[in-house]
Amino acid sequence: MTVFDELQQAIINGQAALAKELTKKGLDSGKKPRDFFPNAIIPAMDEVGRRMRECEFFIPEVLIAARASRAATDLLRPLLVGDEAVQAAGVVVCGTVKGDLHDIGKNIVAMMLESAGFRIVDLGVDVAPEKIVQAVKDENANVVALSALLTTTMVNMKGSIEALKAAGLRDKVKILVGGAPVTDAWANSIGADGYGKDAPAAVELARRLAATA
Amino acid sequence: MLTSRQRVNQALQHREADRIPLDLGASAVTGMQVDTVYALRQALRLDPPETPVKVTEPYQMLGEIKPDLMDALGIDVVGLGMPKTLFGFRNEGWKPWQTFQGTPVLVPEGFNTEPDERGDILIYPEGDKSVPPSGRMPKGGFYFDSIIRQPPLDDANLKVEDNLEEFAPISDADLEHLRRELDRLYDGTDKAILANFGGTGFGDIALVPAPWLKHPKGIRDVEEWYVSTSMRRDHVYRIFERQCEIGLKNLAKIHEVVGNKPAAAFVTGTDFGTQNGPFISPRAYRDLFKPFHMQVNNWIHRNTTWKTFIHSCGSVRALIPDFLDAGFDILNPVQCSAAGMNPSELKKEFGERVAFWGGGVDTQRTLPFGTPDEVRKEVAERLKIFGTGGGYIFNTTHNVQARVPVENVLAMYETVRDSGRYPLH
Repeated sequence: MTVFDELQQAIINGQAALAKELTKKGLDSGKKPRDFFPNAIIPAMDEVGRRMRECEFFIPEVLIAARASRAATDLLRPLLVGDEAVQAAGVVVCGTVKGDLHDIGKNIVAMMLESAGFRIVDLGVDVAPEKIVQAVKDENANVVALSALLTTTMVNMKGSIEALKAAGLRDKVKILVGGAPVTDAWANSIGADGYGKDAPAAVELARRLAATA
Repeated sequence: MLTSRQRVNQALQHREADRIPLDLGASAVTGMQVDTVYALRQALRLDPPETPVKVTEPYQMLGEIKPDLMDALGIDVVGLGMPKTLFGFRNEGWKPWQTFQGTPVLVPEGFNTEPDERGDILIYPEGDKSVPPSGRMPKGGFYFDSIIRQPPLDDANLKVEDNLEEFAPISDADLEHLRRELDRLYDGTDKAILANFGGTGFGDIALVPAPWLKHPKGIRDVEEWYVSTSMRRDHVYRIFERQCEIGLKNLAKIHEVVGNKPAAAFVTGTDFGTQNGPFISPRAYRDLFKPFHMQVNNWIHRNTTWKTFIHSCGSVRALIPDFLDAGFDILNPVQCSAAGMNPSELKKEFGERVAFWGGGVDTQRTLPFGTPDEVRKEVAERLKIFGTGGGYIFNTTHNVQARVPVENVLAMYETVRDSGRYPLH
């Protein structure tokens, strides 16, 4: 097995310490930081997504794998800065909308998107629309991912979209939404570009939307 | 004319009574948010304008369901609970407060808050402002969420006791409280009693951060807990083992005090479902949770006449056979909006063995966002499906939330009144 194969397995198995060690080993042996993504990290998280869809993996296993992936990406990200050859799959500004403090789902989506090669600007929870607008400008984002867990806060997704419109940024970004009470119909009604019913679906959607953004 | 108690007992024995019995407010997952209770009381003209409503559960800001409201709606169940709230202060010494929506409410005297620099409201364990806050209501929000106070974790030195601080032998004072409350509820009303003793919910994620403790130790972060159910499974198992021992001893003492007067006991509120499927694998449920659910249910069935109540949000269809095998008699909240939770299929597949308590209307979509006609249609359907043959207590799917139009709440109860009589049409 190559170091990339081993790293891929370590991420799927959720072995964070091993993933970190293998990443170091790969770097020491001269592998380029950017090559870890297509050869180990992206396929690992694709496999995690597949297992989640097919009910082999559940929330704990996904969280553990995402942590292992993060152990690798935390080492790699600083080394990618300034690497002209790296073309991120897209820049995603994500957050849980205003009034809502729930972040497990949003974190899983963010970690999976990061492992899929996106650059993530995670604004955290209870994010005001103006903060999203600012981040889209500052980070030159092409995707905005909004989460809400409550029926009382999902209405604030609309406010964020309106704010992007008012700032003249709506056409510059694709907006995807998710969270327990959110549906496809809701996404359409508030003018979002798509709805991810779970984290793997969100990744798939982000890939598709980013390609056209 | 049956009493509420008889009506509920018949339903729990899977028989059709005179009508489908109703719960509202007998547990922390079958109630109504206080702004909505206020609006409902006003709409029913039970109070003059600006009459405050008591917040009986401060974490989710549930409003008091007083006897006049119960009578107006035909509610058949009352809750027997412990004296302290989720923030560790007692439900007493009421003082005025106002929600972000401007609703006048009364809160317990221990409900001590501070605004933070963003305008969020912080609340303190046992009302003690000398320790870090344990809950936050975002500015403009409706509920509190736990502030995670996770001490550094050292895997080499994890102690089971650290996650057991909240599971102690029941005090004589709490037993006395239960005795008094039971007398009040059993002798003072004709309602069926749903007992909320606590202590037997294993790994309930609302309880893991322990917002009532001043300095929680052990694993208290939500994500860390979920990860631990897999990565530190043996440790979590040992926590549950000890919790179960303590819980069973407490149940024995409680049973000496309350006897068989409660119709049902709320055993667990741990959520095992997400919108799309189980949170954990059925195998993980069988390994880590089921053994303890079985011990509790077996004890209750051997020693009492109480029916056992499990609450789990989300899509739990894949787990229901195991819940039944573990001995649960009642399933709540029956979240039909989640994957695989089709009401007719659930009733057909499991209706002979479990009583459904909830599922009366979708609180994620229809009740907050639908029209009154859509509410009527859905409620009528659910009554017919779940109510046939008994085995059904009407309640919404989980608490009625804030921002629900009062017209929809009224439409729901009108439909229950019109379509909830046996024989069902």
